Amino acid sequence: MADRLAPVAVEHVAQVQEAVRAFDRVTVRGSGTKPALAIAPSYDRAQPLDLRGLRGIVEYEPQEYTFTARAGTPLAEVNDLLAANGQYLPFDPVLVEAGATLGGTVASGLSGSGRLRYGGVRDFILGVRFVDGSGATVQGGGKVVKNAAGFDFPKLLTGSIGRLGVIVEVSFKVFPAPPAYRSLLVHFPSFSPALEAIYALTTQPFDLVALDLLPGDEPTGAKEGWTLALRIGGAKALLASRLDRVQRILAAGDAVSSPAGDAEASFWREAAEFAWAPAAANLVKVALTPTQIPALESRLVATPVPCRYTVAGNVLWIAWPDALAKLDSILNELGLAGVVVRGQATVPWIGRAPTSAFARRIKSALDPHDKFAPLYPD
Amino acid sequence: MALETLISELTARIPPERLLQQRPQLAPYESDALTSLRARPRAVLLAGTQEEVIDAVRLCHAHRVPFVARGSGTSLSGGSLPIEDGIVIALNRLNRIIALDPRQRLAVVEPGIINLDVSRAAAPHGLYYAPDPSSQPICTIGGNVAFNSGGAHCLKYGMTANHVLGIKAVLPDGEVVQLGGASLETSGPDLTGFFVGSEGLFGVALEITLRLLPKPEAYRTILASYDSLAAAGQAVSDVVAAGLLPGAMEIMDRLAIEAAEASVNAGYPRDAAALLIVELEGEAVEVDAEFAHLRRVIERSGAGEIRVAADEAERARIWKGRKGAFSAVGRLSPNYIVQDGVVPRSKLGEALQRIEALSAAHGTRVANVFHAGDGNLHPLILYDGRVPGALERAEDLAGEIIHMCIELGGSITGEHGVGMEKRRHMPAMFSPDDLALMSSVRRAVDPLELANRGKMLPAGQTQVTAGQHEQAVTDHG
Amino acid sequence: MQHAIPVVELGPQGLAMAKAVDSCVHCGLCLAACPTYKTLGEEMDSPRGRIFLMKEALEGSLTTEEVLPYVDRCLGCMACVTACPSGVAYGDLLAPFRAHAEKTRHRPVMEAAARLLVRTTMPYPRRFRSAVRLGKLARVARPLLPPALRPMLDMLPDSLPASAPLPERIDTQGQRRARVALLTGCVQNVLAPEINWATARVLARNGVEVVIPRSQGCCGSLSLHTGEADQARDLARHNLRVFPHDVDAIITNAAGCGSGMHEYPLLFAGQPDEDAAQVFAHKVMDISVFLYQLGIETPPPLPQPVRVAYHDACHLAHAQRITAEPRSLLVTVPNLTLVEIPEGDLCCGSAGTYNLEQPDTARQLGERKAHNILAVEPQVIAAGNIGCIMQIRKHIRGQSQALPILHTITILDRAYAGLPLLSE
Ligand SMILES: Cc1cc2nc3c(=O)[nH]c(=O)nc-3n(C[C@H](O)[C@H](O)[C@H](O)COP(=O)(O)OP(=O)(O)OC[C@H]3O[C@@H](n4cnc5c(N)ncnc54)[C@H](O)[C@@H]3O)c2cc1C
Ligand code: SF4
Ligand code: SF4
Repeated sequence: MADRLAPVAVEHVAQVQEAVRAFDRVTVRGSGTKPALAIAPSYDRAQPLDLRGLRGIVEYEPQEYTFTARAGTPLAEVNDLLAANGQYLPFDPVLVEAGATLGGTVASGLSGSGRLRYGGVRDFILGVRFVDGSGATVQGGGKVVKNAAGFDFPKLLTGSIGRLGVIVEVSFKVFPAPPAYRSLLVHFPSFSPALEAIYALTTQPFDLVALDLLPGDEPTGAKEGWTLALRIGGAKALLASRLDRVQRILAAGDAVSSPAGDAEASFWREAAEFAWAPAAANLVKVALTPTQIPALESRLVATPVPCRYTVAGNVLWIAWPDALAKLDSILNELGLAGVVVRGQATVPWIGRAPTSAFARRIKSALDPHDKFAPLYPD
Repeated sequence: MALETLISELTARIPPERLLQQRPQLAPYESDALTSLRARPRAVLLAGTQEEVIDAVRLCHAHRVPFVARGSGTSLSGGSLPIEDGIVIALNRLNRIIALDPRQRLAVVEPGIINLDVSRAAAPHGLYYAPDPSSQPICTIGGNVAFNSGGAHCLKYGMTANHVLGIKAVLPDGEVVQLGGASLETSGPDLTGFFVGSEGLFGVALEITLRLLPKPEAYRTILASYDSLAAAGQAVSDVVAAGLLPGAMEIMDRLAIEAAEASVNAGYPRDAAALLIVELEGEAVEVDAEFAHLRRVIERSGAGEIRVAADEAERARIWKGRKGAFSAVGRLSPNYIVQDGVVPRSKLGEALQRIEALSAAHGTRVANVFHAGDGNLHPLILYDGRVPGALERAEDLAGEIIHMCIELGGSITGEHGVGMEKRRHMPAMFSPDDLALMSSVRRAVDPLELANRGKMLPAGQTQVTAGQHEQAVTDHG
Repeated sequence: MQHAIPVVELGPQGLAMAKAVDSCVHCGLCLAACPTYKTLGEEMDSPRGRIFLMKEALEGSLTTEEVLPYVDRCLGCMACVTACPSGVAYGDLLAPFRAHAEKTRHRPVMEAAARLLVRTTMPYPRRFRSAVRLGKLARVARPLLPPALRPMLDMLPDSLPASAPLPERIDTQGQRRARVALLTGCVQNVLAPEINWATARVLARNGVEVVIPRSQGCCGSLSLHTGEADQARDLARHNLRVFPHDVDAIITNAAGCGSGMHEYPLLFAGQPDEDAAQVFAHKVMDISVFLYQLGIETPPPLPQPVRVAYHDACHLAHAQRITAEPRSLLVTVPNLTLVEIPEGDLCCGSAGTYNLEQPDTARQLGERKAHNILAVEPQVIAAGNIGCIMQIRKHIRGQSQALPILHTITILDRAYAGLPLLSE
């Protein structure tokens, strides 16, 4: 399954082009934080390209609130540079500490809990340079915050997991970073009032940064019930009163804790690193909507597994300990689709088979010679 | 002939009052909001159901007749310009809200629904649909999807693509696909995002899932006047650099102010060379705090008069003036071309200065009214089409402005799309490889190049292939 | 929009027509406001489409006959004028175009007969009154009548209110603050003479002397708006002569008349009476505007609180931009609460003789209006135009509701008199 051939370390775009032209099949890897996404059956003879050497920030003018960087640039480096200028990536990238690269983040299309506020990777990517399956370097989008010229390749490549092209450079827009954050952890004895709280909070004009739901009582470590974790950001002086308002619309009498400072920051950092998910388990992301959750929960309740609903009930992260077939059938039954980020999958897709008519056509244009792994299983 | 066979098949299915074929019925469909281009379609289908659209697309494919989807025909780039002897599929009657789910903040709509009607329907639930093109009282969501339309209030929450979660579409050969869904996230490539902004080349959107936002609790709107456009542009850079994130930041110049004032009495300072509108939105306490900060930044930016909207009525007037400004410029000139280039925000001042210089050098008046916060210029190049050569001169100036945008590192279009009008500038922004891939994607989706033939991609490439297909048509028929 | 309209050949009104086309930038912002676009959903039946079609016809690339069906369906409600940021004076194109087209158009015999009947009765109160009586008889024979005549019959009321004619002069109560002449209107004076009485009483009560020229006739608006320019001019010319010059204002309480009389200068452009038309038009004022500017005495409170929905007549709101004044007058009445009608900008489908010429669209719009009004649950409906009052009454009744619908001035009059509002 895993890459058999020795990876070619890439430092220049031209090397990517050469490799795509020279080899029959090519796979791409960054720092390997989401290994399952690289899996493709019968693709073990593919030549891996290691893009970690293709790194560095190409352009960054803090005043412009945009930057362009090479695909292999570690996100940590980007985050540090932005933070030094009071800016951040609002889509809240995941696995930053684990070493995720910018290109891998785009290719995987993964965003963190904080994407609730302003949107995900797809909403912040402005431009992409990639090598397509014929070995040509193609630029899609631009470097300015707004651009409607030509097809939106930046969005297409978001979530394409190396199957449509090799991303070599990306441009992003960024926002001013909130000067401070506060959080609220509210314990609910059962699931449905917690879900109700999500509805209540998201239909109000509160500017929430994140709204997650996790099993158990987070502050005490008890196993019962669910914990709603919400985060707000902004001017420090206003946070306490804003948090008060939010708390007031939640049912009174719920156990509440309100971490601040380092504890608060590390709570969300750990979330972004999936610290709650055992390393050996399959880590799966499922896209859904809040109304789909009760049915899913009723299937999952028999076998409690570590999980976390993020983005106000629009994403389920689940650490599935056993073979994925069972999860696959549950998701299928409910018409839900997901992607395996880490673990023992045969293909990264799980659950409802993606409808591929449109995608297949796009794939045939970008990768006419099947240099990259198939997008979807046939 | 293939075309006439198609027409007779359509006639068999569609009642005559919804299949327009007579001269006076077709004439009003000859142009969109870019009146310098006209083309007469063979027929206009006023689609009544999604099935009719699918049927029509399949028939067009079977008979190799090109078609153009049409919302309200407000495109400024010739996007909904018919194809001579092609079919126009008018979607404005396909305007139902299929589902409104306030708890999940979702709306599933048909493509012909008017942008503002989505917000109207959502309003009783305290929600709204955020992207607000100035044409929002009439432009359709289908048109917005095709162009990834923006608006004054797209600084914070983005453009159409950032609010479209799912699309059901009929591809140009009649295959119906569902892209994305109702979740804010997807797995796999962002096909929904890829469809948005494809200018109708990927087929016709039939059903669109939109995310709605809670209506902001508070707004603060500030007007500041400047003695030059460049100074107003610099103020925008200052606001951005100060780390503020307004909901909207717009600039109007003297001509635009004059036109808007004549139109709605918005109360703009009439003697200003440029006017900056900045609006904050969000939670009340936050907006208050940011407002104090904003005010300091504006005061230090060399503003002349600074005015703050006292109430909702004044705020509404300010926006009415701004949003009607394109049309109001019709008071100053019988014809104009609206340009839509983008420049990096820190280069706004420079860009505006250069536009002024170009305008003076060409002796052609240019009015400016635009989305300054994201560097999206809208120079309106005024000309009188009855004067021989005036259109050509205006187009030359427009071309120079576009090239300046590219030179400054920007884009040829921020939100109005390439359409017919900016096709020739694509090679200045994209390399032959970039364009070749776009063409092959297009052909992979639409091998016969039926959907919006001739739009977006530079003339050379499409015409060659279009010619080949003409060949194919005659071979077969 | 660029055009090649032969301005000179079209005579004095050619310039106004060309100017309207000139200033239209084809942006489409007016479409959302247009009642026919909203109901029919096709570009030919939108303001932008009609402007384009009229342009093509004036340029000669389409024939007048080809474009007339779409121009005919225009209500003349002028909602597009309110919506247009570019200041397109649509009315300056529409009325002259209709007149221009009427010269050459061929109408089917029955339709022509119907129009002739309208043209020869409605503007003349005595003939109209007898027509109503005849109509009652004819109703028995309705099934035998050609379809073109049926909508006319359906519009006629069952009975006509008896009312004493107004005197030639009504003196003020108390100190005289102004002197005005009142246009009594032709249709209105037959169908609802009490509105004129109410107008006179409210004026007098507020210190205004009212002159009611006995020999006055129809103002010609109906003819003007249906393309009968010559008849309109004849009627108007008569009134230019018989109305006194020494008045502060010429008052009308019918929106259609008010807007038509404001168009006199265009109607007489390049003709000997142009100056007189200017002076006259300048003096014309809707009753609500006049009273609002004058300032009125606060009426005594209504016996109980009443919710009133004010309907914006198109010829007030769009053609004359009068929306605030009638509302301000109504809220001076203590215990009266105003409610706003959803889609209040949208025409009720009455629009002069539209009811007669485009009965389907008129019915759809009437039903939509009734529906919108009932949605806000008023107890009384107020409107400043007799046509709207008739149309809305018909469609409210059609929904089996019996809300009273009163002229704004009637409400004020009753409030002063301490009479109840909750009946008609
Ligand atoms: C006064 C004025 C102000 C404007 N302001 C703005 C602004 O602030 N921001 C902005 O972004 N734009 C603006 N525009 C441009 C225009 O309104 C937008 O491009 C709008 O999205 C077009 O919508 P429409 O319904 O009129 O589409 P149309 O003009 O009818 O069509 C536009 C394109 O969409 C395609 N299309 C339509 N429906 C579909 C469908 N269902 N599926 C696939 N393709 C489809 C058409 O083929 C065409 O290529 C303005 C235009 C005017 C006239
Ligand atoms: S709003 Fe005015 S300028 Fe725009 S299309 Fe309508 S009439 Fe023409
Ligand atoms: S006058 Fe009324 S009906 Fe006629 S085009 Fe204008 S809005 Fe439409």
